[in-house]
Amino acid sequence: MQKEDENLILEEEFDRSVSPTSSPSQSKENELLRISNLSIVYESKHANLLALDNIDLEIGQNRLIAVVGESGCGKSTLALSIIGLLAMPPAKIMNGKIEYKSINLTALKEKDRRKFRGTEIAMIFQEPLTSLNPVYKVGDQIAEAIAVREERKNDRSMDLESEVMQRTYKVNAPDMPSRLPRFKPGGLTKLLRDEVLQVLKQVRIADAEQVIDRYPFELSGGMRQRVMIAMALAQKPALLIADEPTTALDVTTQAQVLRLMKELIDEVNTSILLITHDLAVASQVADRVIVMYAGDIVEDSDVYDLFREPLHPYSKGLLSCIPVGSKDKAKLKPIPGSVPDLSKPFVGCKYASRCPFAMEICSKRSPRLVEARPNHRVACFLYSGESR
Amino acid sequence: MTETVEVRDEDILVASHLKKYYRIRRGFNPFDRSKPKFVRAVEDVSITVPKGKTVAILGESGCGKTTLARAITLLSPPTSGHIFFNGRVIFDGEGGKFRNVNYKELYRDLQMVFQDPDSSLDPRLKVKDIIAEPCKGLLDIEKEAIDAIVMESLKAVGLSQEHAYRLPTHLSGGQKQRVAIARAIAPQPRLVILDEPTSALDASVQAQILNLLLSLQTNYNLTYILITHNISVAEYLSDFLVVMYAGSVVEQGPTASVIANPRHPYTKTLIASAPIPNPLKRTLLTTEIIGEVPSVINPPSGCKFNPRCSYAEQICREKIPELREISPGQFAACHLAEKIP
Repeated sequence: MQKEDENLILEEEFDRSVSPTSSPSQSKENELLRISNLSIVYESKHANLLALDNIDLEIGQNRLIAVVGESGCGKSTLALSIIGLLAMPPAKIMNGKIEYKSINLTALKEKDRRKFRGTEIAMIFQEPLTSLNPVYKVGDQIAEAIAVREERKNDRSMDLESEVMQRTYKVNAPDMPSRLPRFKPGGLTKLLRDEVLQVLKQVRIADAEQVIDRYPFELSGGMRQRVMIAMALAQKPALLIADEPTTALDVTTQAQVLRLMKELIDEVNTSILLITHDLAVASQVADRVIVMYAGDIVEDSDVYDLFREPLHPYSKGLLSCIPVGSKDKAKLKPIPGSVPDLSKPFVGCKYASRCPFAMEICSKRSPRLVEARPNHRVACFLYSGESR
Repeated sequence: MTETVEVRDEDILVASHLKKYYRIRRGFNPFDRSKPKFVRAVEDVSITVPKGKTVAILGESGCGKTTLARAITLLSPPTSGHIFFNGRVIFDGEGGKFRNVNYKELYRDLQMVFQDPDSSLDPRLKVKDIIAEPCKGLLDIEKEAIDAIVMESLKAVGLSQEHAYRLPTHLSGGQKQRVAIARAIAPQPRLVILDEPTSALDASVQAQILNLLLSLQTNYNLTYILITHNISVAEYLSDFLVVMYAGSVVEQGPTASVIANPRHPYTKTLIASAPIPNPLKRTLLTTEIIGEVPSVINPPSGCKFNPRCSYAEQICREKIPELREISPGQFAACHLAEKIP
């Protein structure tokens, strides 16, 4: 009981900290998320690795934004920092803030932060089998997500073990030690079952009646990823972060899942932040593409503008690495060299050593993200006007 | 030999009517009298690999492309069929006659690069020992000569002498795959099987490895069998394309003509769902794809693709289509290949 009281006090504090006193006038009308000056370091005994270096980014409503970059560029760190799943330590936010609907998430306590996770910002991961609980039926796992949503809507205690689970699962469970409720098979109430079915149908699972009673291992990879999407959408989040959602899937399944995600944006009124290593995937589905390199955003552009004329030399290099057509037509032009060591302090542009257009200034100062064309920002001295 | 198979001089490998079934173990129920079930991983596949060319085997996971590669290399010998390699029969289906194969001779000429260099390179051997190991077993030469071969292979794949003394953990993903390639080319094989050589790599590293494979092919006069799920990689590297679906070949022919003019509905779907870096051509979002890959234990009757095919007619559900020559050099296993636009 004492615990409950603590919760209430914290919630009051939370309400005060949440009240939009920070800077509501600055934010644009349909802005959902604004990241400013975010730097994240992974600390260890031997070295400190700068994973994100002064990231500036904003996300609007009902948009599909792709973050593209190679492994180690910081795209997953960015995703985890937005949803607040970054393990700290070793990670540490050096400076900057992440504002969601004008609330600074980085300043919140973990307990308050939980209220955003799932119902406001949801996330799906690369390998659905490791994200789903193997010992619970698919339907029950989705029902749990719905229960959490309803619970938060009623502004009650967040504890899953509390009375709401007893209500939804029709079991008596006082002082349950585990996080997940224990329930009898098929213990879903009619109301909950109907909503689970509806969510499953929304992600285009045809035989939802059967799937609801299956375990994750009984489903194919594409189905599992649909279930993950269903779980995320059941909470009606305003922002869905998808970290390489189709990398483990086959091409035809990938096409189905990407198409589904694209259609759901307007259907359920959400924005999607798609983290991917595949520039081609980004070009097919995204409204806007953000290219990352070694912890920096190097280019941020409308998708059509980017693929018509990429500005940053790294984006150009990355595009010329994608094989199109046969070897007899055009040979690939790989980017020479490799990514710099991020654990060492760095001066200048991180891409300079691999860049065919590198100038003197590139090794002295690091370029800032500037608007080179409408809706097209790039961090390169070729376009900043500072070069000459 | 019970059948005649045409082996032309320019072909280095001919595999005909290969089958690979895996038996599913029954449970412990002593009253279980049901017939044994089989996973039909590779079902009646024939491929021909001309010397100095690249044949790509394209398909989604579970279509049997890696099983086919392992059957060809005799790493897991086929259930039945015939394999001719380098002018010799290395596998003659009836009764496991492959046993009199000289493996030392075979693997001198036939090498393989595996998908994930992390699991195919011994983490406790130095790079030079990794590359030297197959040479020690396969070539009857002095230690000094092996050292020379190791250094030459390292140079050929774009690594320097300092990499020779490192452990795989001290190399990047691209460098590890280079070591795996160096190991495969060290015994100077004639045919190299590349099993998803770039699928674990980043785009920029993939481009480097693809170009490396091309230059090695010309320098060492290699023949490749490329196993891949990536159409653009297959299109870039290969001369001939074999498209597999649920254990069978559905289409094969010269790469350019198969990609430009696919005749099998599955090939069409596969090409349309491959993402291309052009936001003005969003084929990925406009193609309708129905269903999922069928089970290879109980495949659908008739054409295995019929439940997902929008053109399917009665005959597709009843009769298994044979691979037919639709246009010169291009074969498709579809009853309706001529009718489909």
